[in-house]
Amino acid sequence: MSMLAPVWTNGFAQALFWSVLTIGFYLAAKRLYRRWTYWWISPLVLAPALLIAAVSIMHTGYPDYIRGTSWLVALLGPATVAFAVPIYEQRALIKSYWPILMIGVVAGSVTAMLTAWALANALGLDRTLELSLLPRSISTPFAMAVSGDIGGLPDLTALFVLITGVFGAAAGEVLLAKLPIRSTLARGALFGTGAHAAGTAKAHEIGREEGSIAGLVMVLMGLCNVLAAPVLAYCLNP
Amino acid sequence: MSPRKLAICLRLFVHRSRLTQIGLILGLWFVGDGLARLTHLPVPGGIIGMLILLGLIASDRISLSSTRRGANWFLAEMLLFFVPACLAVLAHRELFGLTGLKILTVILAGTLSVMLTTALVVETFYRWKLREEIAP
Repeated sequence: MSMLAPVWTNGFAQALFWSVLTIGFYLAAKRLYRRWTYWWISPLVLAPALLIAAVSIMHTGYPDYIRGTSWLVALLGPATVAFAVPIYEQRALIKSYWPILMIGVVAGSVTAMLTAWALANALGLDRTLELSLLPRSISTPFAMAVSGDIGGLPDLTALFVLITGVFGAAAGEVLLAKLPIRSTLARGALFGTGAHAAGTAKAHEIGREEGSIAGLVMVLMGLCNVLAAPVLAYCLNP
Repeated sequence: MSPRKLAICLRLFVHRSRLTQIGLILGLWFVGDGLARLTHLPVPGGIIGMLILLGLIASDRISLSSTRRGANWFLAEMLLFFVPACLAVLAHRELFGLTGLKILTVILAGTLSVMLTTALVVETFYRWKLREEIAP
């Protein structure tokens, strides 16, 4: 181990190691999930679980891990840019139904904020946690901006957004099987408001139309919330 | 080779090469991110980049075939970009325990209500609009 020490303290080697491991576990989980569709094999559950085990075994702290792999998280930025393509491809559908989509986005945003506020109060969570929970249904970059605006902790919010996405993507599929929802519009909107980008990825698996609507709804939901944040901040902290 | 022929060759190359298209999308993101920083807008750089790309496609400056392969790659592998962020639980040990359980309850119950509300609202309005169109 002592011979390896100089290599291991090298930031680049560490970054390379954790990046390769992350991508490897993700690809493995994705391949397994294609054969057996149990929720615990899905790439967002199995890959992080394996990585947590690896990080613990190697006695690496979270700061060291994320320093090496934050470039992967940054790729969510260009992934957002990529949404322009499916949105443009579905422009006819969007053109005829945008008022309905807007109503869905507003209904989703209001429900998200109200349920977070009411449940956090009912369970007696402290104010910082409550405020950090409010913007959890919108995609990470938006959510962190809103959280900071209204007095929450942005990094906690990012974590809550993630849990929402992982759970929402799985729950959305179950809900769709049980509910009498037939229109691709409602099926896509469900994922876009409930589970942001993770839900959108899931919606893309279900169908291209559902995926683009989910992507559009996710973007609209984020914009709508960022615009409402100053008003919300004023109401919450007068 | 005439300039016209060169332009056609270049276009064909971009249509075929996924890597070039990924590069193009990355470039647009850099531009969007730079604009967001410069203007101090509370909008993420990715969204600005997306609006720029939408504008370019809608005004026929970039064709769909020059971006589709790259965009599909980003969308298909999007879950990978979330994986490292999941490990943030390691930095918040206080979330294991009763507080964590409460937070999980808020998130699970909240997410289910959001999905139910949105889907039912959109579906209801959609059916209502369909009926309007069929029997005005």
